[in-house]
Amino acid sequence: MSNDTFFNNDWLELQRKYWENWADMSRKATGADTGAPWENALDHWWQAMSPGASDLSKMFMERMMDQGKNIFRMAEAFSNQSGEGAATDGMSYWMKALEDMQKQFSGPLGDGDNAMQSMMSFWEKPLDHVQRMMSSMSPMPGDMFRNMEHDFVKERLDRALTAPGLGYTRESQNRYQELMRSAIDYQAAQREYASFYNRLGMNSTKRMCGFIQDAADSGKSIDSARELYDNWIACYEASYAEAVATPEYAQIYGRLVNSQMTLKKRIGDMVDNNLSSMDMPTRSELNTLQTRLQETRRDNKKLHHTLNTLQKQMEELSGKAPATALKAPATAKSGQRSKSAAKTTPTPADE
Amino acid sequence: MLPIDIRPDKLAQEMFDYTRKLGKGMENLLEAGDIATGVSPKQAVYSEDKLVLYRYDSPEDVETKPIPLLVVYALVNRPYMTDIQEDRSTIKGLLATGQDVYLIDWGYPDQADSALTLDDYINGYIDRCVDHLREAHGVEKINILGICQGGTFSLMYASMHPDKVNNLVTMVTLVDFQTPDNLLSSWVQHIDIDLAVDTMGNIPGELMNLAFLSLKPFSLTGQKYVNMVDMIDDPDKAKNFLRMEKWIFDSPDQAGEAYRQFTKDFYQKNGFINGGVFIGDHEIDLKNVTCPVLNIYALQDHLVPPDASKALRPLVGTKDYTELAFPGGHIGIYVSGKAQKEVTPAIGKWLNERS
Repeated sequence: MSNDTFFNNDWLELQRKYWENWADMSRKATGADTGAPWENALDHWWQAMSPGASDLSKMFMERMMDQGKNIFRMAEAFSNQSGEGAATDGMSYWMKALEDMQKQFSGPLGDGDNAMQSMMSFWEKPLDHVQRMMSSMSPMPGDMFRNMEHDFVKERLDRALTAPGLGYTRESQNRYQELMRSAIDYQAAQREYASFYNRLGMNSTKRMCGFIQDAADSGKSIDSARELYDNWIACYEASYAEAVATPEYAQIYGRLVNSQMTLKKRIGDMVDNNLSSMDMPTRSELNTLQTRLQETRRDNKKLHHTLNTLQKQMEELSGKAPATALKAPATAKSGQRSKSAAKTTPTPADE
Repeated sequence: MLPIDIRPDKLAQEMFDYTRKLGKGMENLLEAGDIATGVSPKQAVYSEDKLVLYRYDSPEDVETKPIPLLVVYALVNRPYMTDIQEDRSTIKGLLATGQDVYLIDWGYPDQADSALTLDDYINGYIDRCVDHLREAHGVEKINILGICQGGTFSLMYASMHPDKVNNLVTMVTLVDFQTPDNLLSSWVQHIDIDLAVDTMGNIPGELMNLAFLSLKPFSLTGQKYVNMVDMIDDPDKAKNFLRMEKWIFDSPDQAGEAYRQFTKDFYQKNGFINGGVFIGDHEIDLKNVTCPVLNIYALQDHLVPPDASKALRPLVGTKDYTELAFPGGHIGIYVSGKAQKEVTPAIGKWLNERS
């Protein structure tokens, strides 16, 4: 690589020295906190370089960097301690590490150390995707319901929400009650969904345990971060594929989407009510107009088509060549095409 | 021997190699510039609303057949997948076999298009494009190549307008929407589609992306990028990968009413198998598809499982039915080197034998 690039030899040399020192430290198993300074180095380099990249390149590069971090976090989590527990306890060390992961899946993430938490966040990726999507579609911040004390809220609100509305604001009270009920239902669906993923995480880790046991039994050994990552992905993907193909998942997923749509719809309806009270157009009115307009356009196009057909028939009956009659088939010689089609200017359809 | 034995020095070397490749890759990405897609020269010959009908320029040294071929792509994702790069182009392959290729670009529907129905798409847009070609070429019938959801549309079109379709090719097209290996279908069974459409109007393309990525989340959102690090120091491979990334995340929103009917009638009610699908005033019956049919499916397709496509054979009314199994995936059937050698020449040959 030439020295005039941003990723020059000096930088690489610096990196190499850093890795050597890091390896030395680890080899001596001093217990020193190696943390993940390489991540910081990578981040600094990326911050300096990324402004020059296009959005697509930037997004692409960031994904590769993120995955790199995942690989090496995982390897670090297992290699940092390999001089201690693994050497003395052998197989039981790895099983203990994986059991710890399973516990992480069954409890809040905050209990684990940093490396483990970082790894766990990767394995929660599908859940994270769904939550981001739900958040992007939600009229409220996505995490709003995640941290809400569901049982407490439900208990307190259940009775209040079932109370009938009174007086001339009865309808308005009912709308707010329905909104709150929808919010609580959505929160419950979110919890159910997250719980499904926790079980999936535990099963996946169990599968990984099986894989490691098989490797040990057959005398094989994983000796690179990449190999560990690929095998782990295979185990998780296989567990995921099994779990999400079940009718149970389809129902949980359906409840999540439906409860969110219900909540979003109620909020939209309330916004419409407010707009209506201010004498402004509402989403509902626009929908009606769009539907009617499309019906009119559809009818209009059909009428035009019918008229054109009739016109052609009349011209044929009167002995005139129709103005838009079908032309003779195009000749099929080398390089020759139906010029009428090729030269046609884009034409809007008859309205 | 320990089952996991990653030595610190080896790990350090791996990290070093990874960052070195990233650095080299970054150079390539910075030099990549704009990512061009849809490489074959073409002209717009008809437009309507957001739809544009394109005609591709035929090679000078190829004899062009008299019956035009209309490519009907899915509403999901963009049709430039069929012409994504110079050496991986279904369109180019078809042109080389003498087909006079037209393609419908549906554009990007917005909220004002939310009332578009399947009737508008099939008996409206597609039918007017077909009429345009029949008239321009002076032929009674044209050839149609339907891809993915576009294949489903094409089947419906051919069943309603058999007098206008000479030959029909369907590629990676769902016919039985409820095969046991169809994850998307399983997931959608308990979703209240009416509620979703009534709430959102159009269905966001981002939502569709999420669904597709969720089929294999660890591979598609993680491992894929790690694999790419090994290739990104090759400028051409980096560019090709960026093209695919652009396409994967370039997902138009779905017009609400069309999405409502498509998802309910097909994913939830399996309309081709169970019947009961009405497009406008027409009830769909695939027995009306009497033209020759070439049905192409991919053996490793996780979006359209082979059995979901192969279900077509007993449903259509034609006696001239051919199947072609491609050893690849849903995307590989357009872009892989093998597809360029096997799929497009086979389509061209099949059409030429019948046109």
